[in-house]
Order: sequence, then C-alpha cells, then structure tokens
Amino acid sequence: MPENALEAVGLHRTFGSVRAVDDVSFTLPEGGSLGIVGESGSGKTTAARIVVGLERADAGEVRVRGQVRSARSRGRAQRLARAREVQMVFQDPYLSLDPRTSVEAVLRETLRLHFPGTDHDQRVRELLDQVGLGTRAAEARPRQLSGGQRQRVAIARALAVEPAVLVLDEAVAALDVSVQAQILNLLADIREQTSIGYLFITHDLGVVRCVTDDVIVMRKGRIVEAGPTAEVLAAPQHPYTRLLLESVPRPGWDPEAIAAARRAL
Amino acid sequence: MNPPMNAPMNPVPTLDIQGLHITLPGTARPVLDGVDLHVAAGETVALVGESGSGKTLTSRSALNLLPPGAVVDGAVRVSGQDVLTMNADQLRAVRTSTVAMIFQDPRAALNPLRRIGDFLTESVTLTRSMGQADATARATELLQAVGLDDSALHKYPGQVSGGMLQRVMIAAALMGDPVLLLADEPTTALDVTTQAEVIALLAELRERFGTGLLFVTHDLDLAAAISDRVYVMYAGRIVESGPAEVLFAQPRHPYTSALLASTPRLDAPQGRLAAIDGQPPDLRQELHGCPFAARCPLATEICDQQIPEALPAPGLPHHQAACHHTDRLEGSPVDA
Repeated sequence: MPENALEAVGLHRTFGSVRAVDDVSFTLPEGGSLGIVGESGSGKTTAARIVVGLERADAGEVRVRGQVRSARSRGRAQRLARAREVQMVFQDPYLSLDPRTSVEAVLRETLRLHFPGTDHDQRVRELLDQVGLGTRAAEARPRQLSGGQRQRVAIARALAVEPAVLVLDEAVAALDVSVQAQILNLLADIREQTSIGYLFITHDLGVVRCVTDDVIVMRKGRIVEAGPTAEVLAAPQHPYTRLLLESVPRPGWDPEAIAAARRAL
Repeated sequence: MNPPMNAPMNPVPTLDIQGLHITLPGTARPVLDGVDLHVAAGETVALVGESGSGKTLTSRSALNLLPPGAVVDGAVRVSGQDVLTMNADQLRAVRTSTVAMIFQDPRAALNPLRRIGDFLTESVTLTRSMGQADATARATELLQAVGLDDSALHKYPGQVSGGMLQRVMIAAALMGDPVLLLADEPTTALDVTTQAEVIALLAELRERFGTGLLFVTHDLDLAAAISDRVYVMYAGRIVESGPAEVLFAQPRHPYTSALLASTPRLDAPQGRLAAIDGQPPDLRQELHGCPFAARCPLATEICDQQIPEALPAPGLPHHQAACHHTDRLEGSPVDA
C-alpha cells in the first residue's frame, strides 16, 4: 500500500472565541491532489498554515510520510528537514519574491541552504526547465517578470527541495485566465513527473475540478463534505456545497435565488 | 437579464465612447487604440479583458479620470456631453452625480477613520445638492435598498464585513442619482456566494432606478450571466462585441474563443486546459497588425501587417469582430 504523503488528524485551532479549525482530518496520498474549498473565514487557510507549520494546532497532529511533524523543531538541521517536507506557494507572486534577487539567485540560495557543498548548476537548469522558464528569465529580477512567470519562479523554488507536499494557497487566483490555464497545466505536468502531493486551497470550484482528485468542503471551521472531486461536484450532499456550486456564474444564473438560499442556510 | 420594460427609449446613449485613443508617456503604442463603446439607458454592458488590456482605463474615461501625461483623442459622451472637453465645474457635476463608480476593493476606497454615514452623505452635502437631514434620510433609504439597516450609518468601515462594505459602496454610488454606474471588478474580492448577492442587488437596483451599468470584469462567465451586451478587449482594442448569449455561444474572434476554452469550468471536459501560449504584447512594443496575431492559431501573414477592422457577422449587425479570419472560426467555438 502506498504511503500517505500527508495525514491530518483531529486538528483544532481557536482564536479567542472563534473556532477557526474544528476537528479537521484529511489524508493526501503520495502523488495525490486534495482540494480544500470554502469561503473566507471557513478555516481553509488556517488548516493549510497548520500543515506548513506557520500556525500551531491546539490539538491534533500532522503526519508527513508517516512521521509526526512535531509542534516545535529544535535546531537548524531539524528546521530545514521540516521545510523539506512541506513547501508552500502563496497567492500573490508579487509579494512572495525578493525584488532585489534574480531568479537564478533565488533558486541557488534555496539549494545552498538545503544541500550545501554540492554544485547546483545542473539542478538550477533542471528546475527552470521544469517550470518552463528560459535562460533569459533566469537573470531577471522579479519586477521584470509577468505575474505568471513569477508564479513559475515560486513553484520552482518550492520544488527545489523535493518536498513531499506542496501547499498551494489560492496560487492561481491572482492570475489572468489565459495565464492561469498555463500554470494549472504546468502543475498537472509536475505531478505526473514527480510523486509530489498537492494540497490545493481555493475558492474556485472550476479550478478544484481541474486539478484535484479529492476535495473537502469547509464551513465555519468544520468539514461539511468530503469525497472524490468528481462525485462531490456532480452530486453534492450538503446544502452548503450545493449553494457554492449554484453560486458559480453561468448563463441562466439566478443570483436572487442564491442570495435567498444563502440567507436561509 | 432583459432591459427593464419601463426604460425610456432614449435615443441619446448614457455612455458613448467614440474612437478613443490614449497614449501614455514612455510607451511605443497607444494604451487605448480606437475604442468604440456605448451603454444605452438602463442597459448592462460588460467589458471583459485581462490585466493591461485597457478595460479599467476605458471605464475611467467616462469620468475623465486619466493618468497624468495622457494624450487623448476621441470623444467620451455621457448623456450627449463630451466629458473630455468639459471645464472643471461641469466635470465636478458629472463626477458627483451623473456618473458613479464602484471599485474592486471597498476597504481601499473608504476612509477607515470616518463613519459610514459621513461617507455616504458627504458627496451630496459638499456639493450642496442636499441638506444634511435630507442626505441622511436618503442614505437610510439606500442602505435599506441594499439590505442594510440604518445602524450601519454609525459604524466604521472596520466594523463590517467585505460584502457589507461593498453594499455600502453601491449605496454611496447611488446617492447622487447617477444615470451611469461604472463597476470595476466589484465582486472580484468577494466570495462566490457574496458575489451572487451583490450581483442580484445591482440587477434589482438597475430595474428600480433605471441606471445604465458598465461592468468591468476579467470573468467571462460572470459577464455572460449578467449582461445584455459584452465587449472583449485585448491590448487596447475592442476585438469583439455583441449580445452576451451569441458572443459566448458563437465567438467570432479567436481571442474570445481561446479565453473561453482556457477557463476551468464545471461543465467542461476534464483534463488539460487549452491554455493560450505566450503573453499579451508589451506596451513598449509597436504593433502593425492584429494585437493577438502572435498567440493566434489562425494567424497568417496579413495578421502581422494589417490591423483588422471590426466587421459585423452576417445577419447580425450588432455582433462585431475585428479579425481577418473570423470566417474560419465560424460555427466552431473552441471548446476542447
């Protein structure tokens, strides 16, 4: 049986009186892709941040390739090892890169930090190639790149350490439709070539359908529905999932009925 | 959505942009290159395009809100009056009452240190078109129209949610009884269910107040769902325009067709998306032909040399596309 890339068991997190994450469990098989959908305030980002280690869980545990990710890591070596397990790509490619560092230098810095004492030329070329960036882009600074190219750099940087899990927090939401499609295709290609697992945080059901095998729907910190993406989208069981699906604009769309349904829920 | 039945058949369009060219300093080609667009009274028109296509600049031209150093040619008429040639007083009247704008991020458009009530009433009290008491009564009425009660008057922007704040923005936009509402990505920052609510509200208010709506968006499906007519922009030009349902069922420009194909949607076949290779042309790059030629699967030699004119579809005078090879696309919306 293949090992799970990621398991989250009974995660809880409260901020004051708000239960941001309330008994959330999920598993991501090796090479799998799991979507977390929900509105702002549903707890999807907090859950993702707990997985990455940017947020602490009050209860519950996260396992990567069967190993428990301890709440606090001791020492530099352990911190780096933790970083190699899970990497994250953020929404805004304009904010997640240092404006003074060239693309190649970003990748070299990451490689030097995690794999010191080896020659990285080959790996840098490989990574640039993998995300579809040419040698001209390698010398560029972030401001000379388009939004789509910057997101490719962020993905290359995350892939550099060969993580088990890549957490993508609304990673294509800020991109134009035509560029978004390029990045979604790129992510599909990378998943085919490697055994990396994706945890895809998004509010866009079209994107979820396109890139995930399984999906969980969160509302007010709790999982209201979970299952294979195709099944959940074709036959949603929970009224909230149905509301989310009906809210997607399409011809013959009835925003008034949705507004009424939302108030009723 | 059909136009409201009680809308007056006004021969003068609410907004009429003709041959608008705008050149900014330091660019090799105009940011807007011959834009023609109109919005009839009570009509909802969507302006669709990607970042940098010029859609925001086009909508802002209705308020003559242009970047410094812009060289402008053409006409932008609001109810028959050209805003580009107006003096400061006339322009102020247009900006405070005739045309209103709703922005993408309501939090960035409101002063966080002032109460919502002050924000709503200041435009009409400052121009002395209403006294404070009348203005407050009107603000209360409009807050009710957008589904909020008058307790919101005393709140600060930080005390309400994003969806509520966007409703406050809509109420504020309607304070001066505008004939035209410019909505620039008004729902992009909102959740899908909140988006539906705001759209329902805009539709209802349009019927009630007969306001024309120019809806700027990058979301094709949203444009199709809410508008009567759609304009598709690419690199500063209108590449296709027409009734929403026809344009999306049978696009006549390869760019529209490619955009539709690259959108991940719930009813499309699964698998790889038909992404459009490359990027839109840079503003530092001069264009001699069709702006989409470099990314277009149908492009031939003529596309690089000659700018295509917008021509109507056979039998459909209102469905126009600027493409040399539109016939090769006909009846074959690229879906896969």
